[in-house]
Parts: sequence; C-alpha cells; structure tokens
Amino acid sequence: MTGRTTRRAVLRGAGAAAAAAALRGWRAAPAAAQTPTRITFWHAMGGNLGETVVRAFVNTFNASRKDIQVEAQFQGGYDDLINKLRASIGSSAVPAVAQVYDIGTRFMIDSKAIVPMQDFIDREKFDVGQFEPNILAYYRVGARLYSMPFNTSTAILYYNKDLFKKAGLNPDQPPRTFEEIASYAGRLVKSGATPSGITIAIYGWFFEQLLARQGALYANNGNGRDAAATEVVYDHEEAGPRILEWWAGMVKAGAATNPGRPTAASQRAFAAGQTAMTVDSTAVLASLLSQSGGRFALGTGYFPKPPGAATGGSIVGGASAWILNRRPRAEQQAAWEFVKFISAPAQQAQWYVGTGYFPVRRDAYHEPVAQERLAKYPQFLTAISELRSSPINRATQGALLGVFPEARQKSEDAIEAAVLGRKPAQQALADAAREVNQAIGVYNRTMGVK
Amino acid sequence: MRTARGRRAAVHLLMIAVALVVLFPILFALSTSLKGGAEVDRYPPTLWPHAPDAGNYVAALRQAPLPRFLLNSLVQAGAITLGQLVTATLAAFAFTFIAFPGRQALFFLFLATLMIPGEVTLIPNYLTVRSLGWLDTYAGLAAPYLATAFGTFLLRQFFLTIPRELEDAARIDGASRRRFLWTIVVPLARPALATLAIYAFLSAWNQYLWPLLVVNSTRMRTVQIGLALLQSQEIVSWGLVMAGVIIIILPTVLVFLFGYRQVVRGLTAGAVKG
Repeated sequence: MTGRTTRRAVLRGAGAAAAAAALRGWRAAPAAAQTPTRITFWHAMGGNLGETVVRAFVNTFNASRKDIQVEAQFQGGYDDLINKLRASIGSSAVPAVAQVYDIGTRFMIDSKAIVPMQDFIDREKFDVGQFEPNILAYYRVGARLYSMPFNTSTAILYYNKDLFKKAGLNPDQPPRTFEEIASYAGRLVKSGATPSGITIAIYGWFFEQLLARQGALYANNGNGRDAAATEVVYDHEEAGPRILEWWAGMVKAGAATNPGRPTAASQRAFAAGQTAMTVDSTAVLASLLSQSGGRFALGTGYFPKPPGAATGGSIVGGASAWILNRRPRAEQQAAWEFVKFISAPAQQAQWYVGTGYFPVRRDAYHEPVAQERLAKYPQFLTAISELRSSPINRATQGALLGVFPEARQKSEDAIEAAVLGRKPAQQALADAAREVNQAIGVYNRTMGVK
Repeated sequence: MRTARGRRAAVHLLMIAVALVVLFPILFALSTSLKGGAEVDRYPPTLWPHAPDAGNYVAALRQAPLPRFLLNSLVQAGAITLGQLVTATLAAFAFTFIAFPGRQALFFLFLATLMIPGEVTLIPNYLTVRSLGWLDTYAGLAAPYLATAFGTFLLRQFFLTIPRELEDAARIDGASRRRFLWTIVVPLARPALATLAIYAFLSAWNQYLWPLLVVNSTRMRTVQIGLALLQSQEIVSWGLVMAGVIIIILPTVLVFLFGYRQVVRGLTAGAVKG
C-alpha cells in the first residue's frame, strides 16, 4: 500500500513539475531576450500615504527598466521589520533592499550582512553633493555612508493660532524656549481658551531631540560615533533631568496633558482643538491639516530648547535604504539602481508631496510639484529651516546604539515615571540608564563590538 | 400575572443595556468607519456620522487586497483548528482510555510545555520552517500550531467524565478502540470539541507575529497584517483602519452566528430525556 501511494505521489509530482516547466516556458517565450533580475524591497510604509507612494515608485521603476524588476513587500512597522531582519539575517531569506529606521543603523552595520552604500558611491563616483548635509551627517559613520537616506523628518511644534488669539497671545510668534512654552501653556489654560495648553506624547524620540536641542549627548564616545558607545550619559549632566522636570512640571501644573505613549492620541487631541500645542514629526503636517478640516489656523514653530542652549539643533529621524550582502551580486547591483532611483530628485519631490517626509536632497525642491506644495503649505518651511539652521556636531548627528530600540523604550519608562510623579527626574533617568547600559554591555559582548 | 410580565420586561431591558455596553466598541468602530473627512476628529465625538459615507471601505479595499487576506486567514485558521481537533482528540483519548506505562509522567510533560511562552519558540520554529523551505506557504503558517497541549488537557478532562461503563459495554459488544472513539466519545464530547474549535480558530485568526515572520509576499498575508498595512508609520487614519476592522471581523461573526447553534445543541444534548 505504501509503495503504491509513493508511486502515485511521485507520478503526481512529476506531472506537476512538467506542467510548471511548460508554464514557465510559455511565460518566458515573449520576453525571450533576457530574464530580468528580480529583487525584493522590504519596507515599513503602511497606510494610504506611504504604501501608495511606494507602490507608485515601484511601478514606475519597473516600467522604465527591462533588466530589473522590483517587488515591494510591506513587513509591518519599523520594529516589526528590523525584528524580521534579525531573524533571517544569517540566511538568504533576506531581501536585496530593506528600509530600516534611523535607530537601527548601528545594528545593521554590526550585523555584517550589508554592503555599505559608500562602496557603490565610490565605484560609480556618484555625486551626493545635492544631499542635505545634516541628513548625510546622521547616516555617515566614520565618514562612510552605509545606507541611503530615504524618508526623513524632524520634530517640530504645532500650535493652534485661533486658541492663541483667544488667550491673548500673538498667533504669529510661537514659543521657543522651555520657559516660554510652560508660560504660554499656563496662560492658555488659565484664560479658559482650552482645557490643555500642550499635549506631548511620551515618545523617546522627543527626548532625544530635546537633548540634541541643548547640545547634549545621549551616549558616550561622542554619541557612539568616535567609538562604539559603552553607556548612555543622559543622566550625567543636567540636560536630561531638565527635560523631564520641565515636562512633568507642566503636567503637574495642569498646563499640559499626558496622552500616554503613542502620538496618535496627541494628534487627535490637537486636530480636535482640545489642546493648543503639540510636538510631532514634520511628516504629519499634511495629515494634521486635513484632520483639523480647516476648523482652525495651524501654526508651526521650532522644537523648543532651554534658553541659552546655543550649540544645539535637531536630529533627523526617519529611515534609510540598506543593501544586503546575502543576495547574489547581480541583485546587489540591481538594488543599487533602485536605491538611486528612489533618492533621485523627481522621486524625492513626489515622496515629499505624497507623504510629508522631506526630500533628502536640495534639488528636489526645484521640482514643480514640490514648489506647488511649499506654496500651499508655507508651514513646511519651518521644518527645512529648523534642519538647515542646526549645526552639525556629535549631539545633532544623533546617537548610534546597537540596542537603540530597547533604549528608547527605557527612556519612555523614565519619562512616564517622572510625568506621573512616581520618581524624581534624575532618579528615573538613572534607573533607565542602568538598564540600558546592561543591554549595551550584552550587545557589545555578543556582537564582538569593541 | 401583570407583575410577572413587568419583571420580564425589566430583565429584557437590562439585558439589552448590558448587550449595548458589550457591543459598544464594535458599534463605535462601525460608526467611525462611516465617518468621512474631519468628522472622525471632531470633539465632542459624534455617536453616529452626520452623513454616512462608504469612502473608507472603498479606500481600505483599494489599499490592501483584503479579500485575499481573508482567504489566507481562513485557510490558516481552518487548518489549525482542524489539526488541533484531530491531534488533541487522539492524544486525550490515549491519555484517558489507554493504560500504558509512564502515562501520567508523559501527560505532565505535555502540560509542562504550557509553561513555555510562545515567544521563546518563535525563532526556532522560524528556523525550522525556513530550512524546510516553507516560508511564504500555508504549510509554514499552520505547521507549528497543529498540536496543542492546552487542547489535549481540555479534552482529557472532559473524557474523564465519560463513564468507564460505556467503554466496557462497547468493548464487550466487540467495538474496537477506534470505533469506540468515533461513535461514542466524539459525539459525547461535542461541546468540548466546539469550545476547543472556537478557541483555536480565534487564536489563529488573531495571530500577528508568526504570520509576519514566515510570510514575505503580499499575496500570502493574513488579515491582522492587513490591518497594519492600513496604518501609516507616523499617523493613523482611524476611519480607514476601522473600515478594515469591520471587514475583517465580519467573517468571524458569520462563523459564530452559524456555529453557535451547534455549540448550544452540543451543550444541551442529552440534558433532557425525551
């Protein structure tokens, strides 16, 4: 009986193989000349903004190339994607190109599973002169560009001009310092204009930005850029605790609302006119404008800093494209062609218009679609000028940490503890730092980082 | 007589109120999915959209191939449910009706696997499935979940309540073990099997991490990842996401509307002689 089944199975298998071969032959016949190199691109851009634009890019690229065909595959959010890469990185079950968020940079380099973008740039003498220097400064490690910046943003202040007017504040002059924000928020609430002066989501990225705005380092060894970081240092000086004290103080005084961790809640509160100010990524400007539905005039301002913090600036956030070395050389080369395509001025302008991330290169603003957009949303100039006015130094380049995703979570625990009044700011940060340092130690040992 | 009717009406009103509370999240999701434009973020929130609009559904279906995702989830969850029913029934039968050396020890070993969190086995399972070449296939999606310690435990506890006399009688009448299992134990255990089936189906339907890990292409994605596909990295369009949620829960609601009768019939079978 077993013999018979096996024979039948074999026959069936053979039949299927023959059919598949026939089908393949039939499909290949019209193309004949050459089979295109097929590559996959893993990305984390969901939603009606991101995914739609990525799909359009891939379609345009595929239509323009006979030799390369790209398949874009959505792999969940940034965290999901890097976890998936982590699981498959030792094998060939990886894509040719992957989009990885800013804070995954150190891990990707240490994984040794990538081809540095610089190799392709040098080989082809590719000109990066038009790229925003601040963006290159983030993704360059030891003067080498490891990945190609793709979607970038910074954090800015959003405010409701109508509520400012109601509270007797100048709607054309957003607050710039910690003190100003606190006093504006207090006045907004006291005047009865709004139940909440400012709503800041507990998001570690904001903490990192606020440190950089003061010119303070997140991790030692020059933010992990002179040598691999061995510990975080945000609890050493007063820059870190000052952020949490300011933040918790406003919540305690009733001037600020704590919306919890995800920014979705603070965005809704702001769009609904329930809070006068919020901080968020520049990438949400268009969405906030459409969600508020023209119910109020929306203003934008620089991300705050304490008075007298001169050397500070903003760090870019977002993600970049990485080429993986586990795929055959032909695929790597095809991946490079695709990376060049998505970072070209035309695509970057389209990306900017479609998603709200800003272009990684200056010449993208010359494209007519981008010009139109800037004329329509002058608020967007805030983001560009905030970035361009930021000096490039170790603080504003941002930290490199192999365990950054976990570190960010720990810093959120610290913010939460301080805002809820469970711990004093200094202690909350010291506790978080201790846990992060342990994780860094384990990471550096297991990855053999020195 | 009148007071009895009044009391019944009061009870019904109370039940309707409680049902509304329980259903509120779903009803609000439905309402949100029908809100167009800026109404989603209006404050105070509106209970029902002023101008119901199906635009979010059109957008959700254009954004993600949800029908395909539904089919994939149905195949995966269906295979897992069927697999768990078969393996758990056979294992529980062995642990209950067949005496063999080390039975007790083996059973406790089985139970001990319940203490291992699923996250721990995720990566080893992934490596196994990858080496089998099952990435991006239904086999890969379902394989690690075809057997269940919890289900075996559940069914064993139920089988223990079946009188041993029934087994003796069946054996005396010449029924084989297999016949006893299929014609006596399984029909009697219908309520327990239905419970296990519902539990298995729902757990599989709600899986996120595993399908994300073993599937790469959009074609093989399951519904929960379809929901993630509707969310942007930086901002969430609630109307769109809620439209996706409603589309995705619709089939499960249908399964239960039809499955429910089975469960109730199973639960009450033989309760009253007649």
